[in-house]
Amino acid sequence: MARDPKYDILFTPVQIGPKTLRNRFYQVPHCIGAGSDKPGFQAAHRSIKAEGGWAGINTEYCSIHPESDDTHRLSARIWDKGDVHNLRAMTDHIHQFGALAGVEMWYGGAHAPCMESRATPRGPSQYASEFETLTYCREMDLSDIAMVQQYYVDAALRSRDAGFDIVYVYGAHSYLPLQFLSPYYNKRTDGYGGSFKNRARFWIETLEKVRAAVGNDCAIATRFAVDTLYGPGSVEVEEDGMRFVELADPLVDLWDVDVGDIAEWGEDAGPSRFYLQGHQVPWTRYIKQVAKKPVLGVGRYTDPEKMTEIVTKGYADIIGAARPSIADPFLPKKVEEGRVDDIRVCIGCNVCISRWEIGGPPMICTQNATAGEEYRRGWHPERFPKKGSEDSVLIVGAGPSGSECARVLMERGYTVHLYDTAEKIGGHLNSVVTLPGLGEWGYHRDYRETQIGKLVKKNKQSQVALGQKPMTAEAALTYGAEKIVIATGSSWNTDGTNCLTHDPIPGADASQPDQLTPEQVFSGKKPIGKRVVILNADTYFMAPSLAEKLASEGHEVTIVSGVHLANYMHFTLEYPNMMRRLHELHVEELGDHFCSKIEKGRLEIYNIWGDGSRRTYRGPGVFPRDANKTHRWLEFDSLILVTGRHSDDSLHRELNARQSEWEANGVKAVYLIGDAEAPRLIADATFTGHRVAREIEEANAQFPKAYKREVAIWGNPHSPGVNPEIEYES
Amino acid sequence: MKILIAIKQAIALDEDFEIRADGRDIEEDFFLPDLNEWDEYSLEEAMLIKERHADTPVEVVCVTIAPDSADEALRKCLAKGADRAIRVWDESMEGSDPVAIARALAAVAKKEAPDLFFAGVQSSDHAHGATGIAVAGFLGWAHSAVVARLDYTPGAKEVALKRELEGGLSQELRLPCPAVLTIQLGINKPRYASLRGMKLAAAKPIETLAPGDIGLATNDCGESGSLARVRRMYVPEKQRAQILAGDVAAQAKALAAIIREATGS
Ligand SMILES: Cc1cc2nc3c(=O)[nH]c(=O)nc-3n(C[C@H](O)[C@H](O)[C@H](O)COP(=O)(O)O)c2cc1C
Ligand code: SF4
Repeated sequence: MARDPKYDILFTPVQIGPKTLRNRFYQVPHCIGAGSDKPGFQAAHRSIKAEGGWAGINTEYCSIHPESDDTHRLSARIWDKGDVHNLRAMTDHIHQFGALAGVEMWYGGAHAPCMESRATPRGPSQYASEFETLTYCREMDLSDIAMVQQYYVDAALRSRDAGFDIVYVYGAHSYLPLQFLSPYYNKRTDGYGGSFKNRARFWIETLEKVRAAVGNDCAIATRFAVDTLYGPGSVEVEEDGMRFVELADPLVDLWDVDVGDIAEWGEDAGPSRFYLQGHQVPWTRYIKQVAKKPVLGVGRYTDPEKMTEIVTKGYADIIGAARPSIADPFLPKKVEEGRVDDIRVCIGCNVCISRWEIGGPPMICTQNATAGEEYRRGWHPERFPKKGSEDSVLIVGAGPSGSECARVLMERGYTVHLYDTAEKIGGHLNSVVTLPGLGEWGYHRDYRETQIGKLVKKNKQSQVALGQKPMTAEAALTYGAEKIVIATGSSWNTDGTNCLTHDPIPGADASQPDQLTPEQVFSGKKPIGKRVVILNADTYFMAPSLAEKLASEGHEVTIVSGVHLANYMHFTLEYPNMMRRLHELHVEELGDHFCSKIEKGRLEIYNIWGDGSRRTYRGPGVFPRDANKTHRWLEFDSLILVTGRHSDDSLHRELNARQSEWEANGVKAVYLIGDAEAPRLIADATFTGHRVAREIEEANAQFPKAYKREVAIWGNPHSPGVNPEIEYES
Repeated sequence: MKILIAIKQAIALDEDFEIRADGRDIEEDFFLPDLNEWDEYSLEEAMLIKERHADTPVEVVCVTIAPDSADEALRKCLAKGADRAIRVWDESMEGSDPVAIARALAAVAKKEAPDLFFAGVQSSDHAHGATGIAVAGFLGWAHSAVVARLDYTPGAKEVALKRELEGGLSQELRLPCPAVLTIQLGINKPRYASLRGMKLAAAKPIETLAPGDIGLATNDCGESGSLARVRRMYVPEKQRAQILAGDVAAQAKALAAIIREATGS
């Protein structure tokens, strides 16, 4: 099918300086965990988007000098010839598909802790980073300013040599140029501080110098947080925001604008829990009023309808996307081909971001299991190897991993029966999406439902059997499948078993009328009393989400948490607003407390640090610490146990116990995937389903095939002319 | 004890389709064939009778009047547990209306002599709702349409049932066997075929018969055996719809004006 003419405007080219963007789809800079040290990963992840139709594709933030070293997090670097060589792989591969490659030149100031280089970051004034709170920068004098500006120029020249078409001076997320512009950081009284003109001077001069160096060969872009969302005292869009765009406009070929800072950059990469598509428009729409150069904006744009509106209403010229491009690298192509319902819509969970926040392991995506696996496993998001046998596959469980496994096997041409007791594909996600703010997570299910719906029409032997009786081992054995995949998910513990004690909690029993598991809360069958206590030993979203749900429904909620409540939500950038939400709803948190026993209507809690700071050997049978005397009773009307999960793997165990009967029944193999193998993130559950579907012909597909590793090789210098041997100064 | 079930390979269409050059049907390329939805329920009802009364052998036989493209639908029934499948066809049957189809089905019923004959209330493509009851007409058997509940013990002389009437009413009655029943959606929850069922079905024969084999003459079949024929199929012209605002008097006035304009009076 051809594209709908109403989207034509998204496919018109845009001139940016000496370069042309072929359409309006643009992958803004985003981290993936590749940097310059995993060039294959970098080249494959970016070029798959060039193949998928994006017009411009950027690196992540790319350090211009060892003085801006973000280790423990992972950035790209363009420090030397070795980096130029490695990043060249990315630009070459992007160019093969007719797209432009951009580099986001980055200097972090005090936000970069320099844990590898041990250099001292410089900034407009000395301050302790609000993001990396133990790192201070040194205030630049005039020669420092000239020196750091030269870092940008040298890095721009290396970028041009690496084949980049677009060179950024990166001033969003509170990095150096914005630190000069914002009085929040800039306390100077010389020509680089005080008045707007003075605060803008560093950025303007840097743009002039970079432009003079590479402006004929490359488009000059700048990324600018047009409002830092601090109110007066920093950058506000209708004040310094518009003023700066007006001033710098002649020096840039492309404005890449967003909002927010670095410490709370979830205001930019807004999670769907709090922000809708296009959430930055109320700020960024002002920029087009003053910019004569093309403007691009972001806001989890997944829907071509919305994108068209953004362009036609004049809010932006170009649609910038980070997450939508990760969830579906082929988004532009699908719009082009009139296949909008095939778009794998980003659910806004920010699990991709969590990996950068953790420190830079390879990025993963909840929706797109191939993200980050392009190079090392050779997984193309839209192409699948043809099936390697005539085996038919029974998949028991249509949750995230089972449905992904079914989809991929069907794409490969296998006959698949996907079987579930529920009436709908989606597994536990169907409950999760009813939690406050998590409705968009349902796109994960919707994508698989739509694709599987299409695939079963192509192969009449395949089938989706929903609303079925629980599958027994006998029925599975005699079902007639050569391969059986068990994807039966996991459940919350009913007896309080948790990550702290690894045992049940005496008295914890979800069969009692006043104790509930999260599943029992979802089913709504047990009445929940006024005073609710949530006993928590899980560090992701379940406890805070249930607290929000129940407090909004009028319950008085207290969370007793033995672990850092919602810790993983720091990494998904949901934490700050989640805490604001719980505060608004008067949810009480008793942190560092856990539970020793439960009786009707009350639980005994204790401070987990109440067992004395001194440890002594006191002989066998005696604790090396003091008795914890902090125990006290806390009353509740209803107690919710968010203590831990366990795999629902009994079917797998029974089938394994009957392995001697497999052959007679024509069963060749049984696999265990998703939460049924081990409870985990939805992204990882989805991955295991995808992986088994790709590797099902392997001798034992239960265990992953080796992947291609990119590591430094002993004896080979990173940059030419460096001696790789051990040598000491003498 | 035997149950004979009339089934049909019904046709669904995607959003885009074209009408055949002769204007009498949809272009075949756009067909999305599948077993008629109602037939899933009549087959399931037969399977339930078979399984609930394991002591009395019950044979479930499916029959369709169609070319071999309908084998797929028959195999689906076999995969779900039907014992036998019969397909009746030759070119003379092209253009059969529900009555001609029913005449052929009745002929098969005479040959097979079942205790119960099931058909779907209607088919999901043409929705005539005529075939099943026309079979009863040819056979002269007791019959009931739109059966929503069924109670039958194999070998019994009678079948108890509830049927849907108009306006949310229903009727409970008993009929003597053999009887023709048209089965309504929702009477049960149709099963899915297992992979084993599908594999076994692929190996089972489909009995193919020509009209002559069941005692039909050429002019019993096709257009000559039909009371109706399709002359032309077309996409209806887009009509206008309009909501009339205001109170009843204002609405009446507006309506009168529209009628006057349309009739030119
Ligand atoms: C995984 C990830 C890493 C990111 N890393 C960067 C980065 O290195 N530099 C940058 O300017 N923005 C970065 N961002 C922010 C995005 O460029 C973008 O501004 C933000 O995600 C909003 O766009 P979206 O709604 O299309 O995701 C990152 C975003 C994601 C999702
Ligand atoms: S991980 Fe979540 S937020 Fe990130 S791209 Fe994938 S679906 Fe979107």
